[in-house]
Amino acid sequence: MARLKTAFASTFICALLVAACGGTTTPPTGTGVAATSGAPKADIKIGLATSKSGAANFYNPQQSNGALLAVEQINNAGGINGAKLQLIIEDDGSARDQGITAFRKFIEQDKVAAILGPTLSAVAAGAHPVAQQSGVPVIAISNTGLGIVGKCDYGPCDWIFRASLGEQTAVPETVKAATSKLGLKKVVIIYGDGKFELDDLTIFKDAFKANGVTVAKEIAYTAKDVDFAPFVTQAKAEGPDAIVASSLAGPAGKILDEVAKQMPGKRVIGGNGLNSAALLSNANAGLMIVGTAWSRASTDKANTDFISAYKAKFNTEPDQFAAQSHTAMLVLADALKRSGNPTDKAAVKKALEATKDLPTPLGAFSFTADHDVKQPTFVMTAKDGQFTPFQ
Amino acid sequence: MLEQLYNALFVGSVYALFALGFALVFSVLDILNLAHPTTFMLGAFAAYFAMTAVGLPWYVAGVLAFFVCGAFGIALDRIAFAPLRRRSAPGLSAMISSLAVTLIVVRLIELRYGGDFITFPAGAVPSLVLRIGDAVLEGIRLGIVVLSIVLMLGLTYVVRRTQLGRDLRALAENPRAARILGVDVDRAISATFFVSSALGGLAGVLLAFAYNTLDSRMGLPLELRAFTVMVVGGMGSLPGAVIGAYILGLGEVASLVYLPTELRDAFAFGLLFLVLIVRPTGLLGHRAADRV
Repeated sequence: MARLKTAFASTFICALLVAACGGTTTPPTGTGVAATSGAPKADIKIGLATSKSGAANFYNPQQSNGALLAVEQINNAGGINGAKLQLIIEDDGSARDQGITAFRKFIEQDKVAAILGPTLSAVAAGAHPVAQQSGVPVIAISNTGLGIVGKCDYGPCDWIFRASLGEQTAVPETVKAATSKLGLKKVVIIYGDGKFELDDLTIFKDAFKANGVTVAKEIAYTAKDVDFAPFVTQAKAEGPDAIVASSLAGPAGKILDEVAKQMPGKRVIGGNGLNSAALLSNANAGLMIVGTAWSRASTDKANTDFISAYKAKFNTEPDQFAAQSHTAMLVLADALKRSGNPTDKAAVKKALEATKDLPTPLGAFSFTADHDVKQPTFVMTAKDGQFTPFQ
Repeated sequence: MLEQLYNALFVGSVYALFALGFALVFSVLDILNLAHPTTFMLGAFAAYFAMTAVGLPWYVAGVLAFFVCGAFGIALDRIAFAPLRRRSAPGLSAMISSLAVTLIVVRLIELRYGGDFITFPAGAVPSLVLRIGDAVLEGIRLGIVVLSIVLMLGLTYVVRRTQLGRDLRALAENPRAARILGVDVDRAISATFFVSSALGGLAGVLLAFAYNTLDSRMGLPLELRAFTVMVVGGMGSLPGAVIGAYILGLGEVASLVYLPTELRDAFAFGLLFLVLIVRPTGLLGHRAADRV
């Protein structure tokens, strides 16, 4: 009996741990997204690797929901030339190894036609080469760092596409708008030690140089820093016209608070890391200036339709990450239809490359020759808990 | 310069407040409680829940979080540590056990509140700002500085001068001998976990108030620093942990001011390394029998 109790307890604890750590998920069952019975053709499987656990888990459920909504709409409209889409979602755990495992499962076990994700650029650096080696098309839905498409550190990356506005495009637009409207002459950059933040540092420095603005000081912090008062005090000593936060949303919130206290009237310019719904509840969010890929205020029909459908299905407002995953699925479905044979990955890749001005919530969508997204940048600030255009 | 000195004092106080509870359990029970950052986080969320769902004012929510975390500490011991203690499991097992509790609790909090940071409702957290010239002094930050010193003195008094403290010291020296001498070992262990976790929870509440932000992983960045200041201050010495915390805080801010920022961590931890070379037992370290 005692052994039985021990075995039961062990099983229960294991189950709890698996649940706590965000085990793999197979949402198609029971989600109503794919209809397998009676379908004239076999389902077309699409993999979505996204951070449902780990440090970047706050991008969900929006990232999953955006793609799920698109799949539902596409299937309800007749699918891909009669075949239904089936979305398989796996947790990348915000970790490189788990992202690689998810990609391997999609390719070797699920035999997917294409993959979306993973969430973080650092995870993509590990997972994308797996798809590249296997010749499976990938659309990055939230990787904004350097080396995701075009010239990649791991060699050729011609099977990789990106539907998320890269910092190389968004940051120069943001800097240009901020410089012209605020008359910037001198800034200080406070930056983190992650890949995303370091990439942003490089891009910001180049953008300020191109706009004739002096970067008086670069101040590094680490992921383990909890208090940002010393960094802002140090920045203040340089007498800058604005502070640049090359950071994720958490540290950015603390930097915004410190700038409001120590440097009243100064603005905080940031990259995509500041583009977070959680930051909008910060009392000083109105100080930030950030370039984004999506504007809720856009009256483009594809965008207003998306917002209405998302709110109706999930009873909450979408954010940029939902809009980007939704767009990536629309772009992929469009390419699958045009490819003539969705099981022919080379044909799908060719069709993706030919994507031209597709109406999406992000605006008219095309890929560049480097497989990067070609779309407008929205330079935004925050007001009344919403992102609003920076004017 | 005065501003940065004040910043350093605050950073040191944050490290000290966190490290006190961490050091207490290690001193008395030789357990590296890796669930301490979770207790820290739990305190902040308990206060948040009390303020947003129940509508309690911040000071009542803070007191409530103190007791909730104390109770969590006792439960933590009963679930994660006591069964291992009874089987004389090695210390590593206790670390793994506390890590499992961390994973479960963090995930449960994320399921309820999400993984992103959240903020208290506008006006719910006390705000008192004093401006002296260019410098900005905040009431909550000054409170944290004062509290970390008061708690260090209070805890040292309890350990040195009270019956509970004598029980704890007996326990730290030899649990078996302490039991033979009539010390209620189970009660002393529960008291240790209660005080340690309640302090950890209080630290979480205060920091969440100071930054007006909380998230499921807010305690993790402090764990390595708490361990560092414990080693530098002298394993088992509560005043040592606090002094170590202030040295680390000062070192970090001084290196930010005087050195290229990329060298900040290297300077701060290099300074601590030097302390250990000069005094291998740490600043106020004692032999095992004199711990706590």
